[in-house]
Amino acid sequence: MAHHTFISSMKENFLLAAAESGNSVLFTFLIYILGVFVIAWLSNKLLQNRNFLSEYFLGSRGLGVWAFALTLAATSSSGGSFMGFPAKIYSHGWVLALWIGSYMVVPICIMGLLGKRINQVARISGAITVPDILRDRFNNVSFGLVSVALIIFFMTFNLVAQFKAGSEILRTLLGPIDAFNSAVAALPEWFGNFSGLGADYMLCLVVFGVAVIVYTTYGGFHAVVWTDVMQGIVMLVGVIIMLPLAIDQATDAIDSSDSSKTGMAAVTEEMAKMVPPRYVTIGLSLPKSPTEDVQIPPGTWVSSQGKVLHGKSGRVFRTKQRNVFSAGAPVSLVQAIEIISPSDKRRSFEAMESQNKNDTGGVASNLEVRLVLNNAKVRIPSDYAGDLSKVELKTGILLPWEDQGTQRIANLYAITSEVESLKAGDELDAYVFDFIRTEDSFLKMEHNVYRSSLTEFPQLEGIEISSLDDGYYAYGAADEEIGSFVTAPGPHRDSTSGFLPLSLAISFFFMWAISGTGQPSNMVRLMAFKDTMTLRRSIFTVAMYYTMIYFPLVIIFCCARILLPGMEAEADRIMPQMAVTLTTNVGMGWLAGLLIAAPFAAVMSTVDSFLLMISSALVRDIYQRNMNPDATEKQIKKLSYIFTLVVGLGALIGAMNPPEFLQDIIVYTGSGLAAAFLAPVVYALYWPRSNHQGCIAAMIGGFGAHLSLYIIGFINGEGFTPYRPLELDPIIIGLFGSFIIGFIVTLKTAPPSDKVVKKYFYKKLEG
Amino acid sequence: MASDLDRDQYSSEPDPTFVNSRREAIVIFCTWFVALIWAVTYCKINGYDIEDPANIPTTLGMPSWVVWGIAAPWLAADLFTTWFCFCFMKDDELGIAGDEEHLEHAVEVDG
Repeated sequence: MAHHTFISSMKENFLLAAAESGNSVLFTFLIYILGVFVIAWLSNKLLQNRNFLSEYFLGSRGLGVWAFALTLAATSSSGGSFMGFPAKIYSHGWVLALWIGSYMVVPICIMGLLGKRINQVARISGAITVPDILRDRFNNVSFGLVSVALIIFFMTFNLVAQFKAGSEILRTLLGPIDAFNSAVAALPEWFGNFSGLGADYMLCLVVFGVAVIVYTTYGGFHAVVWTDVMQGIVMLVGVIIMLPLAIDQATDAIDSSDSSKTGMAAVTEEMAKMVPPRYVTIGLSLPKSPTEDVQIPPGTWVSSQGKVLHGKSGRVFRTKQRNVFSAGAPVSLVQAIEIISPSDKRRSFEAMESQNKNDTGGVASNLEVRLVLNNAKVRIPSDYAGDLSKVELKTGILLPWEDQGTQRIANLYAITSEVESLKAGDELDAYVFDFIRTEDSFLKMEHNVYRSSLTEFPQLEGIEISSLDDGYYAYGAADEEIGSFVTAPGPHRDSTSGFLPLSLAISFFFMWAISGTGQPSNMVRLMAFKDTMTLRRSIFTVAMYYTMIYFPLVIIFCCARILLPGMEAEADRIMPQMAVTLTTNVGMGWLAGLLIAAPFAAVMSTVDSFLLMISSALVRDIYQRNMNPDATEKQIKKLSYIFTLVVGLGALIGAMNPPEFLQDIIVYTGSGLAAAFLAPVVYALYWPRSNHQGCIAAMIGGFGAHLSLYIIGFINGEGFTPYRPLELDPIIIGLFGSFIIGFIVTLKTAPPSDKVVKKYFYKKLEG
Repeated sequence: MASDLDRDQYSSEPDPTFVNSRREAIVIFCTWFVALIWAVTYCKINGYDIEDPANIPTTLGMPSWVVWGIAAPWLAADLFTTWFCFCFMKDDELGIAGDEEHLEHAVEVDG
């Protein structure tokens, strides 16, 4: 019973402390923003009395160990590290250790493979940007322009995506805070109309966007670096505080009668029993139809109130989205997850009890799940010969479904597609009642009932279910797959190969370590450290830093599976939710503010670097190098401020109504940049025989090979999912293609001039 | 004549910073490859297709395949990185910031 009391008191404390922690979050956030502006102001002071371009875009090549190490670490850790990664750990379990495994060598790869040499070559050529290096190393203007074009192409998409990610994170963090919701409610209607994503998103976008644009524009590279340092420290402190709290509290939450083990062993044992939840649509009702609209927040626990539901009792659900129960409506349909594992169910019922105890409005506690529905598609055959005007697809009719060679029977709830009249060949969205796979005599009985129904409604002959989603995970839900949270490849909602099949595990070793090395945003930082001693100490520092962050995150969010059941309903909120839960349980709710600042800090540190990269490409690589080589410092300074501001505002406007597939765009641009830039830069730095023809071919070849796999995927009807030959990620194909094409073209074309080779590969004589 | 003069400014020996960087890069690439082979092979053999996940072997409370496939090599990689940074990697001359010199001439400082 100890765990029962614990969970109950934990939830009560959590709710009571919600307001307190909400204020802490706001307070921490405001202090944080203030700190960022102070840093920008100090950095702007540094701009005085120094060469403006070199200082604004490269910090005068003077970064010391802490600044260099933490700016690189923080820039590499985007918002994904503190929002997406915890959500993935929670949803897929221990296999995320393998997913992130290459981070054991990421610091030494991204800093050591190119660091010393790119810094030296940048100094020899006087380069401030990556295109600068390529242009000067090969003495070829076209190469510089091709690389600028690719950087602007990739980075612009990425910047819009990161702006959206930053705003979404802020919305997630501030969403539960009353003061924020009051501010949103007070906004004029026209403000919210700028974005299809709502007034709260717009407010977060403006706050995030203006803060990051102002401090980056005003303070330049040093502002970005020092805010990165501050953000890096925030991230590390957050993880160090959370780790012991998570293990301790998760262990306490496990029923001691279920396990003889303690600590993490008990957590792992408990996870081994878990089955991923089921995704369904539920029909909710209240004892009396509401007389006015009732809001049901996302994450609300609901059950069938002890009644048998579709033949099963003891079912518990959690809503996935905000829902309005309309006045007068008997039932409200909501997307939800159903908890399947017995141990998860017990904790979920306890969480529901606590929720209902604190339900002062009496709505949540009275909600009853009356229906469980699955999504399906109903197909009318293209050669349907009957009279469709007589066909009525109404609740309760039976329809056949061909399921992997077995014909099954589903029970229709409703057609959800809006159609005026049915036509042959139509495929309609529909709900069917809770689908259960029956076998043998039960299945035969269903077939008999279906055949009888056809004698009554012969016009239904031929109409069938073309696809049906029963809501179970494609991998991890079957009896033989129990334990998927502690084994590889991990559970997956859609893929029967699981979350991390072996080919993907290999791809991620390329993705993080090799693709990270090929990111121009990392290369720019490698051009900024002071000396090789700084580089050596920084590689060591980042290695320790990543060790202290990434593996502990896996442990913390495996513990979250015990502490916070049902968070698949809002997986992206797991980080702030966990921070509030852990700190509230030890009576230190104010600490949540600091922990919650970590993901916001992470995305901010990525956005500011990208912003500066695009403006440096415009000012240095296009304007100064190609349009006006004799530009005065005053002109350069003015343009740098204007371009940084304009690019930032452009991204902010683009993020108001962002395109679909934003997460896919982030993945595409990250791997595309590496496929285009890594081989040419490696050849330029390490191969004296390399020439501009070979390196341009490597750049275009890598870009083309990578892009073509996305195009093939699109043509195959996979949307933004690329074609994967041999199940390998496009980054691997792109990199191999780039290196091979570059090598062949280089050998087939004339060698570089002796002068260039001497300049970059031989020791300069003193005097 | 100009190119002869340019050539005369450089010795016939390769730049030591280039030579050391290349040697270090090769060692790092081999380290990445070893990490890939160890982690993926070990996890494939011990982490995939486990017959009885309910009784999965644990080490330090974590699944053993995670500890020996990822955590232990991670610590080994940290030890290697420490050795690499403080014993193997050379301190080299990076040269004078060329852009500072270059810009002094190219950009007219507005008074």
